[in-house]
Amino acid sequence: MTPSPHAARLVTPMMLALGVVLATVPLWITKIGLYPYLGVEILIWSIYALAYNLLLGTAGLPSFGHGAYFGVGAYAFGLTQLHVAPGLWVCLTGALLAGALAGLVVAAFISHRRGIYYAFMTIAFGQIFWFMAMKLRDLTGGEDGLLKIARPPVDLGIAAFDITDNVSLFYFVLAAFLVVVVGLWRLTHSPFGRVLSAIRQSETRAAHLGYHVRVYKMSVFTLSAALSGLAGGLFAMAQNSAFPDVMSLHHSGYVVMMVLVGGGLVSFWGPVVGVVVFLVARDVIGAVTNTWMLWFGLLFILVVLFRPEGIAGAWQAATKGVDLKRLRLRGSAALAQVLKV
Amino acid sequence: MFDLLPHIVNGLTLGLLFALIALGFMLIVGVMEQINLAHGSLFALGAYVAVVLLGPQPPLPPGLFEWWVGQGLGMRYALTLLIAPMIVGLVGAVVELALRRTYGKDPLYGLLLTFGVAMVIEEAIRSIWGTRDYSLPTPTTIAGGFIAGDLIWSTYRFYAAAVAAGVILLTWLFIEKTPYGAVIKAGAHDSEMVRALGFDLATLRTGVFVLGTMLAAFAGIIMAPIWGIRPHMGVDAVVPAFLVIVLGGVGSFWGAVVAGLMVGLVVGLTGAYASEWSLLSMYLLLVAVVTVRSRGLFGKKSILEA
Repeated sequence: MTPSPHAARLVTPMMLALGVVLATVPLWITKIGLYPYLGVEILIWSIYALAYNLLLGTAGLPSFGHGAYFGVGAYAFGLTQLHVAPGLWVCLTGALLAGALAGLVVAAFISHRRGIYYAFMTIAFGQIFWFMAMKLRDLTGGEDGLLKIARPPVDLGIAAFDITDNVSLFYFVLAAFLVVVVGLWRLTHSPFGRVLSAIRQSETRAAHLGYHVRVYKMSVFTLSAALSGLAGGLFAMAQNSAFPDVMSLHHSGYVVMMVLVGGGLVSFWGPVVGVVVFLVARDVIGAVTNTWMLWFGLLFILVVLFRPEGIAGAWQAATKGVDLKRLRLRGSAALAQVLKV
Repeated sequence: MFDLLPHIVNGLTLGLLFALIALGFMLIVGVMEQINLAHGSLFALGAYVAVVLLGPQPPLPPGLFEWWVGQGLGMRYALTLLIAPMIVGLVGAVVELALRRTYGKDPLYGLLLTFGVAMVIEEAIRSIWGTRDYSLPTPTTIAGGFIAGDLIWSTYRFYAAAVAAGVILLTWLFIEKTPYGAVIKAGAHDSEMVRALGFDLATLRTGVFVLGTMLAAFAGIIMAPIWGIRPHMGVDAVVPAFLVIVLGGVGSFWGAVVAGLMVGLVVGLTGAYASEWSLLSMYLLLVAVVTVRSRGLFGKKSILEA
């Protein structure tokens, strides 16, 4: 990501605009033939995709088993609610911490690896978590999943809001989304974020500059896993259940596809664009044909082959008058950096 | 000890099958340094094509249809083992054309692309054949079981293991003992030189990829009666395949075979005492080995380390 004029700001005009637009979503989403719950889903997956892109887009670390941390968060939310305390904040903290812990353990095993071995190990660990979710039936409910997870009221100390209906849940998740966005924006534009970009460009060079690459790689993985866990917790709450499905290789693949198709390599907002396109396509094309994933898969192949700057990149070119050719070079360069071509 | 013997035998037969599944994957990784995540989907596609060929209504022109249905099941099965991989091989050729842009780049690039390809093939399978399970008709001579040492053994598993061992050996002979194999290996090490000697490198790579694809499809047909045929079988195959490769050491033929046998043994033995956890055991094995030996059991330094 190149420096932006808004880099140092806590809240950018883009965030404000997005916040305002998103806040009006429940007013018109049913009028265009969709439903409020889709909005909830888009926001939750956006948190997940932004967390994932911190790893892929900023630090250039390819994880193909990231569903594990999303799933760990989902189960942690449910288990905290069922066995520890029913409060919303406790459960969400549980999801965040469980994601962080799972991420930290895995990061300790893999952070001295690079490239394809790094990718391989993330898949292996992702599968391990998936199997555990399937087999630890007493804890997770196995294939049936963890059911009857409630949506506890949002207790702010002075007042409490009920979020059992999808519109109020939407506003709560929107608040969480905006908090994560501000946090991640600050982080990627901080010195820490700069070091991550340096690692993406060349691990060896970053190491020679005196940075403890392994520590940075572990930190960013843990952080990304923690936020994925938070998204998973919100998802379990929204769905009223947690399933092993979200930890499968397929689901882990979806987030990779969303981020790349959206343009996560050249844009902070790319992952959000990818999530919207993916989920709306799922519902709209899915209503017409059962094979929508086939078409999305083809789109993904074409993006990787010819348009690594993704949809967000094309948008930047159209609106800001950025030369598409230069942008494409930037997209290819970013993909090349991630893939260490 | 004697109680353990059946599990060891079962584990080793399973291990040969894991090695067979990994064989085509290994060929493409070893020679082209491409990670083909679509390997599992091509594996599944092989099984589905075999189901169509061996089913009651294969889509063939009238004359051929009568002749084909007139053959005994044994004959049709044997021919299917040859024909289905060839059909899937054509799909492999198309995938290779798409992959050409990634040559000379990091294998992660190919991994991303073939992930998309896997998704597309799996969805295509779902839309053509639906999500229900299929079974593959097998000749009676290799179905059923026999009794030895007070135990009932599945004949099919032994047949499958023997075929797997045979194909592994044939592939090794092809790579190591024929002039074609020599050119393929040379192409992997020094593409400039091979091109300078007048070999068509593009065709060579397509050939290797198609051969790897055919091995995947073949493995799919062999595994079908054991695993059953369903859209998800591709993922069930591709993950053990890469696991076997990483465990054995990327680029090592016999490393992969040994790793396949090890994975089979571990899965077989865990299956005997904690059947629930048998599939988890292979991942733990991988993590344990790779934590100690980062290049796997017999791995050499390769570009995959980036």
